Amino acid sequence: MENRAVTKEKGVVQESGVVKESGVVKEREMMNEAWPGLADPAHDSQRLFRQILGAMSEPGTLATLALPAPPQVTPSDALGAALWGVMLTLCDLETRVWIAADLDSPALREALTFHTGARITDDPANADFALLTHASFDPQTPFALGSDTYPDRGTTLLVAVERLANAEPWILSGPGIETTRALDIGDAAGCHLLMDRLAANRASFPQGLDVIFGCGAQLAAVPRSTRVTRADAKEVN
Amino acid sequence: MDGYNFAYLDEQTKRMIRRALLKAVAIPGYQVPFGGREMPMPYGWGTGGVQLTASILGADDILKVIDQGADDTTNAVSIRHFFQRVAGVETTTATTAADVIQTRHRIPETPLRSGQILVFQVPIPEPLRFIEPSEQETRLMHALEEYGVMHVKLYEDIARYGHIATTYAYPVKVDGRYVMDPSPIPKFDNPKLDGNPALMLFGAGREKRLYAIPPYTRVESLDFEDHPFEIQSWEHTCALCGSDHSYLDEVITDDKGGRMFVCSDTDYCQTRRGEVA
Repeated sequence: MENRAVTKEKGVVQESGVVKESGVVKEREMMNEAWPGLADPAHDSQRLFRQILGAMSEPGTLATLALPAPPQVTPSDALGAALWGVMLTLCDLETRVWIAADLDSPALREALTFHTGARITDDPANADFALLTHASFDPQTPFALGSDTYPDRGTTLLVAVERLANAEPWILSGPGIETTRALDIGDAAGCHLLMDRLAANRASFPQGLDVIFGCGAQLAAVPRSTRVTRADAKEVN
Repeated sequence: MDGYNFAYLDEQTKRMIRRALLKAVAIPGYQVPFGGREMPMPYGWGTGGVQLTASILGADDILKVIDQGADDTTNAVSIRHFFQRVAGVETTTATTAADVIQTRHRIPETPLRSGQILVFQVPIPEPLRFIEPSEQETRLMHALEEYGVMHVKLYEDIARYGHIATTYAYPVKVDGRYVMDPSPIPKFDNPKLDGNPALMLFGAGREKRLYAIPPYTRVESLDFEDHPFEIQSWEHTCALCGSDHSYLDEVITDDKGGRMFVCSDTDYCQTRRGEVA
């Protein structure tokens, strides 16, 4: 059933293009020009994956992903090269992707389907990956957290943020961090909501949200195992 | 090598394993199910480790493969040759030179550094399996953090032998939450799991499970206050390099009771002999 749905979606992409064979090739070229895929899929995805794995295993460390940036299609341009690289590396026809309204565009959907075959879902609880920005982060969105018996069946959030720097106000500790590591993702209200939500991960562990932040070509991750506190929390208490 | 994708596995399989690896790293010590593939070697020869290595290995990586600490045993040699053929990667026997180390049942004596990845071959990933045969039941026990039975098993050792008799695959608790089987490494290596700067990945091919210990993660070996965890020690030193603090193998040298003790880590032993000479 699921395979049929994918074929149908791919069919839609081709129908919207030109039916002739030369036309399909032309469409592919245009797509590559607009939304860059991986030039050398086996080696590029391996290189990007190792950077993502490094970011996830050492939370808060910054990585710069080398790949062409996606085109300036409002509002999807907020996505940035790093998160687009994560999509190209990890998504395929077995994954479901949820896209927040402030990033969503027909161009992004079409590019994602074209390059990865990923299925787009409207149900965040059903998504393997969720694309959003700090502004569209809502603690009430029912993303999948996994269960106590299968905690791995949770949504991985890919969040475009204002900035990424190893500076206060957020202090990370736990697995992957020798002592502590500071992380700053921005001042906006959404950034605070997001980090507060990640701080709450510990209470529900092993259920929880794993997040990959992107800012342009920069990337950092905060998995659910990380303890998140505010640098000024001691003064407040 | 013609006819194969880089590093043998197809890209779809690698992506599936990569997604599972990220979840494994996010939930240290939790066994993530994955769609294990048939590999061109029998189960029990490291098919889990090989699949993880194939999913993370890049053309620029330098690979080291050890079997019980040795670079020159059948399993190590055949897996090393496998990746030379299907990925064309450079290989080494030097622990310090390697980016990725696939291991069967040892952790190298030479301390690992940040950025290195150690891939363990795991026969039975479930530490509770010999106590509780049902997968559904052990999964629930992990969910409820119900690990008392593991302490009972260790206690039975003490009641019967006067000490904890488990010497390999000694259970650990990762980051204070999941009890994990560190694969059949000698308990001598357990302290190296704690706070190690390298990323440690575990792959079980037949059981189709993978799990991880991120760098700098707290890993405790289960024990009792009055019977604290202890590692093996020897009265002998290595007959080749003279080391008095490495894991030693007993080698029978004749049929008249002759024997010698040598380092199980061949690279460590050879390096030391080079330094001594």
